[in-house]
Amino acid sequence: MIVPAAESGDEAFAARAAAGDDAAFEALVVRYQHRIFRLACRLTSETDAPDVVQETFLQIYRHLSTFRGGAQFSTWVYRIATNASLMLRRARARRPAEPLDEFLPRFDADGKLEATPDALRITSRVEELLDRHELAKKAQAAIDRLPDLYREAFVLRDLEELSTAEVAQVLRVDAATVRQRVHRARLLVRGYLSELAGGRP
Amino acid sequence: MKDIVCVSGIELLMEYMEGALASDVAAAIEAHVAACPRCEAFIASYREMPRIVRDATRIEIPAALEASVLAALRAARRAARRRDE
Repeated sequence: MIVPAAESGDEAFAARAAAGDDAAFEALVVRYQHRIFRLACRLTSETDAPDVVQETFLQIYRHLSTFRGGAQFSTWVYRIATNASLMLRRARARRPAEPLDEFLPRFDADGKLEATPDALRITSRVEELLDRHELAKKAQAAIDRLPDLYREAFVLRDLEELSTAEVAQVLRVDAATVRQRVHRARLLVRGYLSELAGGRP
Repeated sequence: MKDIVCVSGIELLMEYMEGALASDVAAAIEAHVAACPRCEAFIASYREMPRIVRDATRIEIPAALEASVLAALRAARRAARRRDE
């Protein structure tokens, strides 16, 4: 029997779930919960991620009937989870994170990078130079210190490995805006890790 | 077109990597990087960083949470159906 590819896809499950098929809904939950948990940890914290996961799936359940079949289901799920993460961060009302701007690359008057090649290269060696747990903590701290817009774009594009076009759909901005935000985040995080490892941004 | 120096090349780096630049601009960046050990080192670490952060923040969902997600959803479903009846 030939089954159309879309039949086994998320969109078909979502349509069945919206029609009241509990098994289809739970299949979607099982399919997505790992990704949503990991995303939530990166966008909030390991402590807050469970709340984000619960909230995300409750919202998906409640709003399934508004999901338009033409859109990509994963995009819709990522958008809900990203917004739930942001809401939770705001509810926590943490004091504003210290910006990472001091870790941007530095240039001389001619626009030439100031640091030496060896100092610039050191971010690549941060795994050998730092203890694994320390690196995990610092990497998360760097993500936390990014402005919201950069954090979301960076986490979705570079950590969850969505394409630029997919991130643009999730965040409802154009691809050039995604690239601009991700690039800025990369410069900041790269410079921060570089200094941690004893290099220069 | 103005010559590319480190600062202008780095500004365009992600667009370059994603093929979003006009071919003459991309060629000018390549020409600069070929002759600039600083940019070469910078770009290597810029490319490597996402993988490092991705690996450092990789985490598995706790089994207890998996179970409680489904339990909470079933409870919400039962509550919604009671309301509908």
